[in-house]
Amino acid sequence: METKYTITLCDAEFSSEHSIGLKGAFEKAAKANSLESGLRFTTCKTLGLKDKGAIVVVNPGYFVYGDVTEELVNKIVAEHLVGGEAVQENLIKEDHLFNRSFKTFGDSEFFGKQLRIALRNCGNIDPDNIDDYLANRGYEAIAKVLTDMTPVDVIQEVKKSGVRGRGGAGFPTGLKWEFTQRSQADEKYVVCNADEGDPGAFMDRSTIEGDPHTVLEGMSIAGYAIGASKGVIYIRAEYPLAIKRLEKAIVDARNAGFLGTKILGSDFDFDIELRLGAGAFVCGEETALLNSIEGRRGMPRPRPPFPAQSGLFGKPTLINNVETWANIPVIILDGSEWFSSVGTENSKGTKVFALAGKVVNTGLVEVPMGTTLRDIVYDIGGGIPNGKKLKAIQTGGPSGGCLPVEYLDTKIDYESLAKAGSIMGSGGMIVIDEDTCMVNIAKFFLEFTQDESCGKCTPCREGTKRMLEILTRITEGKGKPEDIAKLERLGNMIKKASLCGLGQSAPNPVLSTIKNFREEYEEHINEGKCRAGQCQSLLSYVINDKCVGCGACKRVCPVDAISGEKKEAHLIDQEKCIKCGQCYQVCKFKAIDKL
Amino acid sequence: MATPLEIIEKKKNEAIERLGAKVSQSTTKINVGMATCEIAAGSRNAMAVFRDAIDSGDIEGVVLGQKGCAGRCYLEPTVEIFVPGETPYKYGKVDAERAKEILQRHLKNGEVIQEWLI
Repeated sequence: METKYTITLCDAEFSSEHSIGLKGAFEKAAKANSLESGLRFTTCKTLGLKDKGAIVVVNPGYFVYGDVTEELVNKIVAEHLVGGEAVQENLIKEDHLFNRSFKTFGDSEFFGKQLRIALRNCGNIDPDNIDDYLANRGYEAIAKVLTDMTPVDVIQEVKKSGVRGRGGAGFPTGLKWEFTQRSQADEKYVVCNADEGDPGAFMDRSTIEGDPHTVLEGMSIAGYAIGASKGVIYIRAEYPLAIKRLEKAIVDARNAGFLGTKILGSDFDFDIELRLGAGAFVCGEETALLNSIEGRRGMPRPRPPFPAQSGLFGKPTLINNVETWANIPVIILDGSEWFSSVGTENSKGTKVFALAGKVVNTGLVEVPMGTTLRDIVYDIGGGIPNGKKLKAIQTGGPSGGCLPVEYLDTKIDYESLAKAGSIMGSGGMIVIDEDTCMVNIAKFFLEFTQDESCGKCTPCREGTKRMLEILTRITEGKGKPEDIAKLERLGNMIKKASLCGLGQSAPNPVLSTIKNFREEYEEHINEGKCRAGQCQSLLSYVINDKCVGCGACKRVCPVDAISGEKKEAHLIDQEKCIKCGQCYQVCKFKAIDKL
Repeated sequence: MATPLEIIEKKKNEAIERLGAKVSQSTTKINVGMATCEIAAGSRNAMAVFRDAIDSGDIEGVVLGQKGCAGRCYLEPTVEIFVPGETPYKYGKVDAERAKEILQRHLKNGEVIQEWLI
């Protein structure tokens, strides 16, 4: 007999003992109704419905029951599973927007601790088909706003939700909307910042590729709230698929009357156009982004005036990041009260992270604020591969910092991460294991920011270059004892004297690794040692007594540094060796040591 | 005049109707992940296998669709199979070879390939 119903028991909402009890009750009641072979049981960690007691989901149909007792189980079995009619009194919010993807993949370990708001449709709908979005209550939020709410109501709702900018700085979104709404002008703009440039980050790309309409809807709602009729999405040209999907979404939305004039029969006009960026990291900074849209060189300008007063073409402009926009329809439809029940005191809602590096389950995760780093790395990420030890977690990309293992129980929110010495950033999260050299990783990020500095401010342009020179010489074993102090002095100076966020945060990877992993810097400088074995120049390759004289290493050495007769132990001439590591890789007898 | 909420309600129902017209009670739906990441992992190859099978009439009563990234980079390309009345089957790391096996064993013979399920 095929499975007729899938019953999902949510573990986090109540104790697992209770859930085992409920499962027993289900089985008992099913047996009494001769249904037992048609049921399948799964469990999940959370549905994000904290105050609803024990939760049971019945599929197909996605019926969510709250406050489930054994008594109710009997009723569900008799009326719903056998009778085909859902039990009405305990059915809760069966059509909320968040966690819609749960219908498709709620039972997987990877999704158990996640709560999906911004990514609710990603992987769940066909992004090229507007019907799929509409069927999932798409454009209902803008319709609700146009029917029932004044612009001030909308702004109050966004303010009450407590949502903060997801691009990195965490400025309260509602306040930004209010400032722009209060600015008087004949024309205003809404801008979507889709210039995602952090190495290893792909949250915005995935959101747009998986659910482009949500960004359009979020922007339209803001357009209504602040009194703007034009929107611009600034996206980098190196995201061709995301651009293609957005272009199609905009055309489809226009044809269906969700963009253009007299939207949904109201007096509200709003349209959106795309502007492609050439992929400069600094253009993610809002004032540089505006310059780039205007056709100028992508360089930041001083604030004030803030974009809310004088932004695009000198008009009041509201800029939010892709993920922030994707949250707006949920705040409107599920309500600010629900939204603010998720997260911590000062950080509401969820955050999307691009989990990468030395972790088993790499991927895109969305977790409630207040989830610990440990939960993400071990429960969702599945831990560190190959039995290696965790060394650090890097958050915030090239603007962020590296947190050592002691901070594993840090709760993820804007304040806690800042207190621990890193930042939330736009959501990059790189897991670092014991095989990674902390000096080298700091160098990697600085290479990036140094290259991306627009050159306007001398401290950022010249300072990052000098810092990189120092880091390079440390990794080459030529570091000087005073280098650490020099890096700290330079770093703090660049932070204080730069105009925009790029310069103000560029030294962070270096400063935070010095703070938390000073001993590794000292080892490089004083002992010429790299404990992770990553800095090639600090290694020496030596042949041990396992050598059988096969000659494989001798053949592969590009500088003829290896000598020895056939079937006799070989020797590496340390003077000639360029430390390329080829002999190490080719040796089948583990006869070469990396020291 | 209809309010925006009434208009959207109507549009939503029309959309659901259009979607429903494509998928009847007995149709199996296959979704292939088609975000940049999935495509880079090779999802176009899996897509082609299913597309060819449908176009050539090798399998019937099956609708092929695409979806965005669900976030499971480590298992991409991913393929989901929705059989009416059954919990969705989710396959990971579906290259052309696996797609052909899934086509043969699952879609044609109804055998779920447990070891590839996510």
